[in-house]
Amino acid sequence: MKKTGKSAVILFGVFFVLAICNFRAFAQPSVTVNASVSETTVYTGERISLSVEVSGDFNNVSRPTLPRLQGFRLLSNNPSTSRNYSFVNGRSSSSYTYSYYLIAQNKGSYVIPSVSVEIDGKEYTTDPITVRIVDRNTSATNPSAQSRPGIFLMMEVSDKTPVTGQQLIADVVLYFKEGLEVSSYQPIPGWKAEGFWKEELENSHRPRAETVILDGVRYRKARLIQLALFPTKTGELTISPYEIVVSVRSAATRDDPFSSFFGGFGSNQRQAELKTDPLNVEVRPLPDLPDGRYTGAVGSFNISREVNTREALVGETIEIKTTVKGTGNIPLIGKPAYDLPDGLEVYAPQEASSLNRHNEQISGSKTFTDIIIPRSPGTFVIPEEKMAYFNPDQNRYVVETLPPVTFTVERDPNAIASSGQTISFSVQPITGLAAWVSPHSAEPWAYWWFWAGLVLPFIVLGIGYWQKTYQEKMHTDTGFARSRKAAQIAEERLNSAVQLSEQDHVKEAYNVLQKALTGFIGDRLGLPEAGLANQEYIAALDNKGVDPNLTKNVRMLLDKCSTISYAPDASQGYLKSHVELARSILDKLKKVL
Amino acid sequence: MTHSFIHFPTCGRVLAVLFIAVLAVAQQSRAQSSPQLSFDRANELFQNGEYREALAAYRSLERQNQVSGALFLNMGISYVQLDSLGKAKYYFLKASGFDEARPEAYKALEYVESRFSRQSAVLPKLPWERAVDWLRVNIGVTSLMGISLLLLNLGVAGFVATWFFSHRFNPVFRKAGIGVAGAGIVLLLLSFYVQYVDQRYSEAVMVHSKGNVLERPSPEAPIVNQAYEGYMFTVDHYQSEPHPDWSYVRMSNGLYGWIQDDNIRIL
Repeated sequence: MKKTGKSAVILFGVFFVLAICNFRAFAQPSVTVNASVSETTVYTGERISLSVEVSGDFNNVSRPTLPRLQGFRLLSNNPSTSRNYSFVNGRSSSSYTYSYYLIAQNKGSYVIPSVSVEIDGKEYTTDPITVRIVDRNTSATNPSAQSRPGIFLMMEVSDKTPVTGQQLIADVVLYFKEGLEVSSYQPIPGWKAEGFWKEELENSHRPRAETVILDGVRYRKARLIQLALFPTKTGELTISPYEIVVSVRSAATRDDPFSSFFGGFGSNQRQAELKTDPLNVEVRPLPDLPDGRYTGAVGSFNISREVNTREALVGETIEIKTTVKGTGNIPLIGKPAYDLPDGLEVYAPQEASSLNRHNEQISGSKTFTDIIIPRSPGTFVIPEEKMAYFNPDQNRYVVETLPPVTFTVERDPNAIASSGQTISFSVQPITGLAAWVSPHSAEPWAYWWFWAGLVLPFIVLGIGYWQKTYQEKMHTDTGFARSRKAAQIAEERLNSAVQLSEQDHVKEAYNVLQKALTGFIGDRLGLPEAGLANQEYIAALDNKGVDPNLTKNVRMLLDKCSTISYAPDASQGYLKSHVELARSILDKLKKVL
Repeated sequence: MTHSFIHFPTCGRVLAVLFIAVLAVAQQSRAQSSPQLSFDRANELFQNGEYREALAAYRSLERQNQVSGALFLNMGISYVQLDSLGKAKYYFLKASGFDEARPEAYKALEYVESRFSRQSAVLPKLPWERAVDWLRVNIGVTSLMGISLLLLNLGVAGFVATWFFSHRFNPVFRKAGIGVAGAGIVLLLLSFYVQYVDQRYSEAVMVHSKGNVLERPSPEAPIVNQAYEGYMFTVDHYQSEPHPDWSYVRMSNGLYGWIQDDNIRIL
């Protein structure tokens, strides 16, 4: 077959036509349908407009089908329409706007359901809209409405009970009554949020005012500044007042409360310095970390780790880059610590972060670069790591697993000379049996002997001093010595009496028994050792206040001892019974004397 | 009957398997708990030139609080083979605290010191500090306290004895007792001081090739001095406590400053 190239031209033409068709298909812009209302908070009886805007590239559009509306009355089924047509960069687009007017009838919060529109045979629906209807008569009597100024500033935060590190969106919102017009504003520099790390968010739109009704009074509100705040500690934190200067122009009407304040001769524009009230936030602590390493990240993140090379020479730099990307407290995230294998020289890590302040939140990425230099050849494995961050939306830690990083290091052929130095190292490892110990660092005062050794000298000193004093008194104080020895001497005398009786010297035994009793009483009461009659011992006992019955027994026994010398039938058994009686009496006397 | 005949061998087999499993688990747990066995395996890795793997095994023993002079010496030698001389010095210093490895550890330390590219100037310590160091290292706080308490008790006992025994040398014994008890009290106070020093200060070795000693515990603080691998520091734990990840150190040349914890290993 002769090659002419004709078939190729035909093929190219077919492809070109198909490509054009496909391009048109892909280039066709999408159609959007939006519904909006003129006010989201209205008084009963007021009129609002509901607009349905169809924009994009389309041919046929049907009139919107309104759903059943609760709380509102539709003024007319026939909407007013407006149409815009534009042709930009070779592309045409048009927009249709259908406007309906609704009368607010009953107070409450109502949802205007989705509105459906058929465009080029396809049905589109809008998002539902919530509108609050306020009763003008009852709300106007609210006393707090009178105390609220005509223009004021408020700080509104997204969450009043965040956890540490959670991103809070704080809006500085200006409220002003109708009749006032804010031409410009300027924040006063130097605002500090103690306990927070703060970042100002960027908004592409100029502040837009919308209507709200506060305690029955209609206000316009506009968000002037949006901040991202990250609490750095737990507990109750106070967001300090934020101050701005606003330029306000008021309508010079007699009823306007601001006309007197702002009013002037010819010009009614003034500047006012406004500040928000201090706002308390209760910061909760983070829960305990179940698993993995935590580096302070709070938000929603993707964490990844990579190494810049898998093969290197000894002494070459290797970089391990860890990237944390997402939404949250990116600047507060700390460097993750890895278990690096031995043989690596670790240098100071580098940190870099990029922040995106759009879309009403702080997002972006933070990169940590660990710089390491291998000192020996081999295959190095940085083990798998579990990195955790706290996700406030899910109220839990999310653990991301970083896979292990492996790289191989070869010996540098130009550095052979340096490796030769290790050969001169002559110390050999110990490979036999080793003496194993489990070191423990107990303090000396953890041992019993420490306390025993510390207390014992005081005990020895105390007892020794007491014994020394006792012995000295025994030697120097006769009365004390007699008193201390009285019981022992009495006992010896009683034993002696028993022995004498056993040797048939009963009468002598009674004499000894009498001595035992009188000697004990005399020694204990400090009476003379001899020359006293029994009656004097009895009198001494009475004076001491001894129990009369006991004194009576003593007297009886002493009388018996005195008279037994004259008794013809003094037997051994009789004496023994008296000795036992004497022992019993002495035991009782020991307790009272 | 038939029932039992059918199941008896099955039960026997199950019991046998269970018995073997229990034995195996017991053997395994015994093997895991034996430091000598783990040490021998680590030594095999070392002999095969697998120094990093050997170090991982040695470190596992260290983490289990099973240590010996041989273990520290071998860890030091492994680090020498990996050219990580700061860590090698650290482990040789630890090994020098054990009789079994002391001579080899000193020899290895001499070698490692000769390999460091930079040596720190050394400002000698005051005699008092040297004396306290000597007491701490060579006698130990516990022994010192034991000796002091023994002296205190002997002195008090001797003094008290003179109250009860008459002897012509009583005045001499009394003074000797007071002297010995006094010496015990002085030694006890000294041992408390040595204990305080031991608790507050530790020696540390620089294990990275280079690091900064700073005026304040902050990376942006002015630099006091640069420290290189193998430099020795005295860490003040009391000062360091409020600053996690930082240590307040005295360098060998007498300068004081702050260094990040990951630069040093505390002995």
